[in-house]
Formats: sequence, structure tokens, C-alpha cells
Amino acid sequence: MKKFLNLLKKEIKELVTFQLIASLLFTLVLFYFIGNIARSEMGKVQGVKHISVLDLDQSDLSGEILRNLAFANFKIDLLEANNKEIAIEKMRRQNIPLLLVIPDGFAGSVSSFRPKEIETYVLVRSFSMGSSINSELVNQIIVSINSYLSDSILKNKIPDINPSVLKNPIKNKSFILVKDKIAEGSIRDVNNFVTSQTIFIPIILMMILVYSSQMVLSAIAMEKQDKTLETLLTVPISRNHIVIAKMLASGLIGLISAGIYMVGFRFYMGGFMGNIPTEGQVGDVIEKLGLRFTPNTYIFLGISLFLAILCALALATILGVLSEDLKSAQSASFPLVFLVLIPYFLTMLSDMNTLSLPLKIIVLAIPFTYPFLSAQNLMLGNYSMVLYGILYMLVVFMVLVFIAGRIFSTDKVLTMKLRFGRRVIR
Amino acid sequence: MDVILRVKNLKKSYGKIFALKGIDFDVFKGEIFALIGPNGAGKSTALRIIATLLSADEGTIEFMGYDARREPERVRENISYLPEEAGAYRNLTGIDYLRFMANFYARDERELEEFVKRGEEISGLGVRLKDKVGSYSKGMVRKLLLARTLMIKPKLAILDEPTSGLDVINSLEIREIIKDFVKEGVSVLLSSHNMLEIEFLSDRVAIIDNGRILETGTPEELKDKYSSKNLEEVFRRIVTYEKVS
Ligand SMILES: Nc1ncnc2c1ncn2[C@@H]1O[C@H](COP(=O)(O)OP(=O)(O)OP(=O)(O)O)[C@@H](O)[C@H]1O
Ligand SMILES: [Mg+2]
Repeated sequence: MKKFLNLLKKEIKELVTFQLIASLLFTLVLFYFIGNIARSEMGKVQGVKHISVLDLDQSDLSGEILRNLAFANFKIDLLEANNKEIAIEKMRRQNIPLLLVIPDGFAGSVSSFRPKEIETYVLVRSFSMGSSINSELVNQIIVSINSYLSDSILKNKIPDINPSVLKNPIKNKSFILVKDKIAEGSIRDVNNFVTSQTIFIPIILMMILVYSSQMVLSAIAMEKQDKTLETLLTVPISRNHIVIAKMLASGLIGLISAGIYMVGFRFYMGGFMGNIPTEGQVGDVIEKLGLRFTPNTYIFLGISLFLAILCALALATILGVLSEDLKSAQSASFPLVFLVLIPYFLTMLSDMNTLSLPLKIIVLAIPFTYPFLSAQNLMLGNYSMVLYGILYMLVVFMVLVFIAGRIFSTDKVLTMKLRFGRRVIR
Repeated sequence: MDVILRVKNLKKSYGKIFALKGIDFDVFKGEIFALIGPNGAGKSTALRIIATLLSADEGTIEFMGYDARREPERVRENISYLPEEAGAYRNLTGIDYLRFMANFYARDERELEEFVKRGEEISGLGVRLKDKVGSYSKGMVRKLLLARTLMIKPKLAILDEPTSGLDVINSLEIREIIKDFVKEGVSVLLSSHNMLEIEFLSDRVAIIDNGRILETGTPEELKDKYSSKNLEEVFRRIVTYEKVS
């Protein structure tokens, strides 16, 4: 045990390099900044919105419209100009982002039901999030004006009926069914809420799997490249302990790195996800449908993740032994990363149930598919699928460890490297 | 004299290449035994098998009464092996490396300190031991590794070309250290191309070529037998004779 700890300590020391720490910090800072920029851009949409208006009509109605816009949180700048050409020129010169032109005779045209067009102009300075925000603004303005005008017309013509009933004569009530449970609510809200709560799971999973396997791969490849493996293998410690110490150290550091990346990622995503329904709005529905994470869910999720990590580490160990140095280890990690990315994208983008049978078999043969599916399966109560996945991963892990152990206790662990060395000498 | 290592009819092939075609030799307690032979003769292969890194196709190795194939752990506890080409963990300091390796052999804290201290002395690296191994020159790494090999006082030190890559002064120093090392009754099995080194160091040598041992004896015996002034001549005679026949 003392010897094992000695080994484990060394593995960790070897893996925690300056580069690792620097790249972790860099990513954290980068994500933080991107998140902040995104947040402030999103803030522009939700906060007070500036628009410039050229009112050529100067009627009661146009005044009324502008007051109404101000009420809807638009900050209005009235432009002084005799015609729209001058206004547009001004817009260009003063970098005014958005211009609304109410044409002359607008009020009259509306009351005769032949409305003149309201024109909007957007100044493009770059193609970024900001420019699409302006188009969103135009929409909001038009919707807001339309709704105001139709309300006031309806009220005028049919004074004793609420305009909203006229505009939307039917109402609907929507229900959601999950297994044997039922609740009233909007599927969109529930979907959004559940997604916002679970969107991190596959990303964490993917990161942990990729990081820890890359760690163990490089740990083994480094022993080969720096020619330390031969010495280590003659030391009085069991070969299995050597393998386990490497896996454990890599798994540990993989977990920690993934955790740090996740913190950064939360900043990042937090910037983009402005209007996710909050707990309060859909909490009831979620409760009724049993879509909440229980301690049981977490336990199963944990076991599933743990086994997936073990499988990844064992597979990476084998790939590490097969590769001659750090460089070839990097290319050796591609198949593994690929195996993780397939289920990652598939489960994110599509429903497993709709895949064709051969594709489904392939995907289900990949052990890393199961943890990606387990969050959904657990919430929807498909426990058998989760248990099957756990068993399957256990079997795969044992087979892989057996193979890894075999390779480590035979000549192969050395001769593969030696052959390489010889080729170089000649 | 007590035999500490007995190698019998050792055979090893890598695919179609027969690296060892059945070699026999004994190493006695307290002696320095050298395998000498040209490149590709099979020296490293033999040492690797004895160090439990490779498995032999045929033959037996008896070390301190243990069968190396059946009880490799017993062998590993009592030997220390310096590979022909080796490195140390670049991210550790020299002293950390010594401590890390000593930890596998020391039975208690006191012994650990003793090992590390001896390692420091043998390495001769002084304050540089506090630097990361990644910053060492090739020769410095070699000295660190040799210190690691000898500091734990193994019953048998297996050194594959111990002075390769070292300059003249350092090589001399290392030879003195190896010579001192066996004074305490432990043994050394080494390989080398350097006949001068072998003549200075070895009690007995085995000349190996093409996977076979052609001669075994003390340097004096061999020089007499082949009426040569030095081992170099002996070596040349034996190896060229073998080629002709
Ligand atoms: N991993 C390997 N795969 C294939 N052949 C090998 C391997 N290792 C050694 N050999 C072959 O075995 C033979 C003996 O090699 P070995 O390394 O034991 O020689 P050596 O005496 O140590 O030579 P040198 O003085 O160059 O170190 C050579 O013919 C070599 O090509
Ligand atoms: Mg050699």
C-alpha cells in the first residue's frame, strides 16, 4: 500500500504540469470573458432599447403610437428633419443604429383602412450578435404598434367586447403526459426547463471521458518516450498496481480538470441563456410529472459515469501501451475520442428511438452511449435500460482490464517500443 | 564460491530473429561479471531477461535460489537494473526521483533516508539535485540513474553499458564507484563495448557473439589462452575466428 501511494503520488506530480495549469486557467478566463460579452449583448435586448424616429405625420395618432412605444420600454429619440433622405443621411453620419419613419398622412391612411407603410432602417456596422438584435427590435416595434392600433380600432367599432377576445376567439389548455403521470402545462416550458437543467450533463461527461483518457494515454506514452518504463517494470511492485495507479491519477486529474472547465462553461452558457423559465414558473408541473432529480437519480448517474470513466481509462491504457511516444499516443486517442463523440452528438441531436436498427446496434455497442442516455432514461423512469447499461459497461471494463493486464505482463509492453527504436537507429 | 545467479541454456527470439541461441553462465557473490560482444550480440536481451523484463523462450534462471520465471517478485526485490537507454521523470527533481525509487525498497524511514543519502553521494550532482530532471544533460541523467541503481544496495546490480554517454572523467568516477560497490559482498552483472573498462572492472568476462557465448574466464586467463596483450585483441581474435569458421 505504501509503495502504491508512492507511485500514485508520482503519477499525479508528473501529470500536473505548468502547461496543464496554464491551459486550465486560460480556458477559465476565456470562457468568463466570452460569457460576459454575451451577457451584456443580451442585456441590450432586454433592457431599455433606443430607437430614433422621424415623425413626418405629426398627427395625434403618431404621437399616441410613440407614447405607447415609450411605455413598452423603448427610448425614443425624435429626429428633426424635413424628409427621410436627410434623416437617413443623419443616421449615417451620427451612427444611429435604428430609424423608424412614420410617413406623412399616416393617421388618415389608417382610418381609411389603407395604411401607409412605416419604414424601418437598420445601420449595419458589423455582422455580430448586435445586428441580429436590431432586427429583433424592429419586429418588436411593429408587433407593438400593430397590437396597439388593432386594439384601438376594435374598441372604436365594437365598444362592448374586449378586443383580446376578438383577436383570439378560442383558448386552449395543454396537458403533458409522462408515463402514468399527467399535468397541465406547456411542453415548451417543461422542455426548456429540463434541458437547462440537464444540458450540462453530456458536456461534463464528454469532457471527463476525453480528459481522463488523454491523461492516462500520455502518462503511459510519456513513460515510453522518456524511457522510464523499463526501470519501473523491474521495481518490486505489481504490474497491476502500476496500471491502476496510472488510471487512478489520470481519472482524478481528468475529473478535476473537467470540473474547472465546467465552471468556465457555466459562465459561458450563462451569458447566452437569458430567458429560461425559472423554477417557480414550471416547478409545479415538473413536480407533478416526477421529472425532478432524486438522490436515486444521482446515484445511478454517478455509477454510470464512474463505469464509463473506467472503460475509457482501460481503453486508453491499451492504446497507450500500443503507441511508441507522446505523438503517436495523440493519434491513438482519436478512435477513443470518436467513440465518445458519437453518442454525445447523437443523444444531443436526435432521439435514440428513431435511429435505424443497424445504427442503433452500433451506438448501443459503444459503452459510452449509456451514461449519455442515463439522465433522460432515469427521469423518464426507464430503469431497465440504465441497469442494462451499467452491466454492459462492467463487462466491457473487465474485458479491457484483462487485456491491458495481459499486455502489461508480457514482453509486448516493451518490445513494441524497442522495435521502433531500432528502426530509427538504422 | 557462492553462485548468486545461474543462467542455463537461455534462448530468446524476436519473431524470426534469434537473439539468444542458448547461453550459460554463473555469477558469483561479490564479483563483477561482464558480458562483452559486438552490437546486436544479444547482451541487452540477456540482461533484460534476467531483470524480469522479457520472458525467455527456453532455459532457466536461478537467482539466489529462486526460479526467476516463477517468482519474478523475489528477483525484483533483490536486483537493481540500469537499462542501456533510460531516462528519469522529467517533472521530478533529481532528489525526488531518488526518493521515489528508494521508497520501493526501503523497509522503514531510516533506511529510506540512508538510501537517498547514498544516492546523493553516488550521483555527485550536488545542488543540481534540486533541479528538475528535465534540465539535466545526458551525462547527468546517467549519473542519477546509476546512483539510483546502486543506492539501494541490491544483491545484484545489472548494468547495461553503465558508462555510455559519459565523458572520460565521469566514466572513471563511475568505474571507481562500481568497484567499491562490490566490496560489500554484492555482485554486478554488466555489459560493455569498452575493453579498457572491462579489463579494469571485471573479475570475469563472457564473450558473446550472435547469441552464443564463445568464451568465459578471467581477463588474465583469456589473454593467456589467446596469447594477447589485452582484451581487445582477445576479443578480435575470437570474434573474427568465429566469423571465418
Ligand atoms: N524488440 C526487438 N524486436 C526485434 N528484434 C530485436 C528486438 N530487440 C533486439 N532485437 C534483436 O536481437 C538481437 C540482439 O539485440 P540486443 O539488443 O540484445 O544486442 P546488444 O548486444 O545489446 O547490442 P548493442 O551492443 O547494440 O546494445 C539483435 O539482432 C536485435 O536486432
Ligand atoms: Mg545493448
